[in-house]
Amino acid sequence: MRDSKPQVDSHQPLDRLREILLSEDREALQRIEQILENREALSERVSPIVEEHLEFLRQNFPKEFREVVDRQIDVKLKDSQDEILNVIYPVLGRMIRKYITHQFQMLKENIDRQIKKTFSRQGIFGIFRRRKSSEEILSEADPMHIEEVYLIQRDSGLLLGIASQQQTMDQDAVAGMFTAIKAFVEDAFRREQEELASIEYENYKIFIQNFPAYYLAVAISGSVSAKEKDQLASRLLRFAEEEVLQLPSEVTDTVRTGFSQKLEHWFFTDKT
Amino acid sequence: MISKKIILTGSFGVGKTSLFNQFIYNRFDDKYLTTIGVKVNKKVIEIDGKELSLLIWDIAGEVSQDKVPNSYFLGASGIVFVFDLTRPSTYKNIANEIKYLQEIGDPNSIIKVVANKSDLVDEEKINEVAAEIQRPWDVITSAKTGENVQELFRELGRELIDAAE
Repeated sequence: MRDSKPQVDSHQPLDRLREILLSEDREALQRIEQILENREALSERVSPIVEEHLEFLRQNFPKEFREVVDRQIDVKLKDSQDEILNVIYPVLGRMIRKYITHQFQMLKENIDRQIKKTFSRQGIFGIFRRRKSSEEILSEADPMHIEEVYLIQRDSGLLLGIASQQQTMDQDAVAGMFTAIKAFVEDAFRREQEELASIEYENYKIFIQNFPAYYLAVAISGSVSAKEKDQLASRLLRFAEEEVLQLPSEVTDTVRTGFSQKLEHWFFTDKT
Repeated sequence: MISKKIILTGSFGVGKTSLFNQFIYNRFDDKYLTTIGVKVNKKVIEIDGKELSLLIWDIAGEVSQDKVPNSYFLGASGIVFVFDLTRPSTYKNIANEIKYLQEIGDPNSIIKVVANKSDLVDEEKINEVAAEIQRPWDVITSAKTGENVQELFRELGRELIDAAE
């Protein structure tokens, strides 16, 4: 005889129990899922927390992270000494030059004032009309003329750029010889902190402006007054500041052409 | 075209200027004129279709390398140390001289040791020098006959191009 007892699923009570126990959790999970999937709802919940943290950072960043940031800056500065020096050197040079020029101008004005005061008491007028200095007369008779400008890598003496109004001998060899002469003179006199600033022969002068990784050598003919020399130095510093921001690791034709065009533009066109 | 600085160094009278003249101008002069300071000149060579401009500094010879101003070696991609096969005094201290050049030169610069004046010695003498020298030479040359002079600079140029790539 067949057993007529109905079949009972043994899982049913367990499922029921699970439903009773977990229904609240499931609803909560569903709500969380809805929030997570809905960008606006999520933003509404998270934004205040993020904002709170940002505000905390704004208020406390220097205190909390100063040490780490300082350490990072120290490392970065140490690793990039040459690059930083290249960038600030022309700026510093200009500032120092400006300061010295200003101080000299003040000194000159003081002297002028003193002379005027002293001699006015004695009633001597007219004989101190301004006369041209010998330097100015010379400069007018034989004006300064820039013949060539070289941009040279400091250590190797490799030519980085050249602008010239005349055809000289091999300009690479000239750049190399300038560097060799500079090295020889600086080494011979053991002046570690000082550098060769000019070379002169007869009416021809080579004016040198030194920078940490390179130098500019300007060949000049004619008489150069102190004022013209000062103006030239300022222009060289401005050129360095604006055009020689970074030196390439390899000296190629492309590098040289680029710098040569810049030198031409700065020293042989109307740029002032 | 890339440009590289090469230094020719070694004791006085070993033939640096003769190597320089032979390489740049293909000429040799028997008269000995000591170099004062430095002479710089350039030669462009072509290696595997690539042009290389070699700026060569022929510096005054000194008995010892520490007498040469250090600043001459700054920025040099290649250093050619020349000695004279006929004068032991020019190579007897070669290991220390090369060590010194490695210390003061750029860490990446390539150093070549050159045994010059091969035209003045025979095979037996060359073997004798090879047995006693502390550091083997890279190339044996004669600035007078031109033996291996172009090859020396071409090989150095090839290594410089490889290093730059």
